[in-house]
Amino acid sequence: MLKIRGLKKSYAENEILKGIDLDVKKGDVITIIGPSGAGKTTLLRNITTLESADSGKIEFENIQGDYSALTRQETKKLRQSIGFVFQNYNLFNNKTALQNVMEGLLTAKRMPKQEARTEALKALERVGLLEYKDQYPVQLSGGQQQRVGIARAIALKPKVIFFDEPTSALDPELVGEVLQVMRSLAHEGTTMVIVTHQMRFAQEISNKIVFMVAGRVVESGTAQAVFENPRAERTRQFLAETLVQY
Amino acid sequence: MLNTDFMLQVAKATIKGVPVTLEIVIVSLILALPISFVFALLRLYSVKGGNQFVKLYVSFIRGTPIIAQILIVYSAFPSLLASFIGKSAFAIDPINYAYIVFTINAVASLTEVFRSALQTVDRGQYEAGTMVGMTSSQIFRRIILPQALVSALPNLTNITLGLVKNSALAFIMSVKDITAIAKTEAAFNYSFLEAYLVLWVYYLIISYAAELIFKSLELYFGRYRKQVKKRHYSNKEQLISVTTDKRRSPAQG
Amino acid sequence: MRNFELIGNFLLQLLPVINITLTVSVSALVLGSFIGLILTLGKIGSSRILRGIVAGYISIVRATPPIIMIFLVYYGLPFITANFFKINIEGWNRIYFVIIALTLLFSAPVAEIMRSAYLSIDKGQYEAGIMVGMNKFQIFYRIILPQATVVALPNYATALINLLKEGSLTFTIGVVDMVAKSQMIVSNNSGGYAWQTYGSLALIYWALSLAIGRVVALSEKAYQKKRQSISI
Repeated sequence: MLKIRGLKKSYAENEILKGIDLDVKKGDVITIIGPSGAGKTTLLRNITTLESADSGKIEFENIQGDYSALTRQETKKLRQSIGFVFQNYNLFNNKTALQNVMEGLLTAKRMPKQEARTEALKALERVGLLEYKDQYPVQLSGGQQQRVGIARAIALKPKVIFFDEPTSALDPELVGEVLQVMRSLAHEGTTMVIVTHQMRFAQEISNKIVFMVAGRVVESGTAQAVFENPRAERTRQFLAETLVQY
Repeated sequence: MLNTDFMLQVAKATIKGVPVTLEIVIVSLILALPISFVFALLRLYSVKGGNQFVKLYVSFIRGTPIIAQILIVYSAFPSLLASFIGKSAFAIDPINYAYIVFTINAVASLTEVFRSALQTVDRGQYEAGTMVGMTSSQIFRRIILPQALVSALPNLTNITLGLVKNSALAFIMSVKDITAIAKTEAAFNYSFLEAYLVLWVYYLIISYAAELIFKSLELYFGRYRKQVKKRHYSNKEQLISVTTDKRRSPAQG
Repeated sequence: MRNFELIGNFLLQLLPVINITLTVSVSALVLGSFIGLILTLGKIGSSRILRGIVAGYISIVRATPPIIMIFLVYYGLPFITANFFKINIEGWNRIYFVIIALTLLFSAPVAEIMRSAYLSIDKGQYEAGIMVGMNKFQIFYRIILPQATVVALPNYATALINLLKEGSLTFTIGVVDMVAKSQMIVSNNSGGYAWQTYGSLALIYWALSLAIGRVVALSEKAYQKKRQSISI
């Protein structure tokens, strides 16, 4: 469904992404892991055009071409068929939970208000926040805010949702509720690409793991393959360092 | 001691000037708002030429006393206008010159207020907007602008108070505001202290009333900022968001 | 070309009385800072009554137009001294009244600036100071003050520029400062070259404001440099 080839990105002199390939099929739950500074977040932001990649090919739906040559129309189309969940939630502070979810439906999809409301309520129900629909972001806990962020993404019925470290800004006791929502999305067959440091969670829900170091994919494969039989020495080392903490 | 009968007389006479003082403040504010908003955008988007002009304008107006601005406008504008519409320019109600000076003055401070207010809305919300498919102008209108206006309100209060205080110099342009009336009464009866004490009270009342109005506006429009529940973790979250902002700043250019 | 010549000429006529402006501003700066400091102590102190009085004072000064303040001091102070202390100060140099009025006006923002700068310093450092055996004064002088100064400087510059601008009302009680002088020039020219004259006046103030901004920015930099070199 989504095919990325040779994605590159540099900031000033630093090449953060040194040519990344990624294939996402319908129903995939792909988790990108790796040490900090590996370029995981940068990869997500470049795939989704939040930042403009220097070069690299994309194939997605009927978009085909190079990132450096995407037209405005194509960018718009791409953004409309993907969802994004931010590390810092990035909720619209002047809108209630319900309005946050409705916003994209009203503006980008030009849905009539009543219909948008119905859709938004459905999305809020899926993340278990129906009774918080009229709260403003400051009145919600971090975990609740992130669940609204997820509701905002799924309401638009995207083909694939990208999660950029969705739990790293949360206090430990609030991580569980967000992971639970993601788990249920995965079980419903939602296509997801996740960057996270929650290794056990990654192992549990992903059908594919991508391990990145210093702007390159070092290893990728099924969760079982990567976690239990890592081939690359670097992967083994990383897993030994991180898993020991859990 | 103080002549209270006279003070009452001044109070009665001066009240006729209250609408004039309020008019100066309100009209100037209403004229200054759209202009300064455009100026702030010129600065924020570094529009060639416009950016430099606004910078110079703000620096000059904020670096010179209002009295100098009054004297320049009051001496230059009538003859400037006369070269277009002839002698009738000198018959124009002087309150118009007051509008011009105080608008020019307020625009400078308001530009800075709008500029910083528009910058306070964090970039993350803009990104979130693009990811739900909103256009830049939709994000600006529906997300950034409403929040910027609310965060500008406290400074808007200060600027309005500044306008009230500056308006006390309108008498120099022969505008019949409360100061002008009190001054006339004072000079006529040769009782200065009494007249100015009364005048002072008028300014305090007007200022406090303005402050009260703005405070309630802040309360009403800022309701989305109010936390109902206690959030013991808010500190930590702020720390995190600050560090991530820093990390991303090179990418934002 | 002619306009440049005129402005240059007017500048030369106005500059000799700049000392009035400077005297008034510097005096009020020093006195106002001192009173502002006392107000700050009252405001961060433990006495509720004192805090209330200071808050009331600041709020009233903030709502008073500078020209009214000057009038109130000019007419009110002699009234108070004559009626309560039997002292006649009507013969005082008028410039003193302006200085007093500006001191009162300046003290309010100074108190606010000092208070918020003080509050911006993390109090954990105070506790840390106690734990390494410093006394209260040492902690204030060596730890709190340097940090608070850096925080306060930009706002102090703004307040100082405002003070300078408020000083332009000195002429309203009959002191011949630059504003009064420029009005005299205009009337000597029977109202001619008015905008060039007042333009020159504005230019002088503009230059002074820019100079204040520049000096404060430089000292801010110097301060930060000093802190950096200490930390290295």
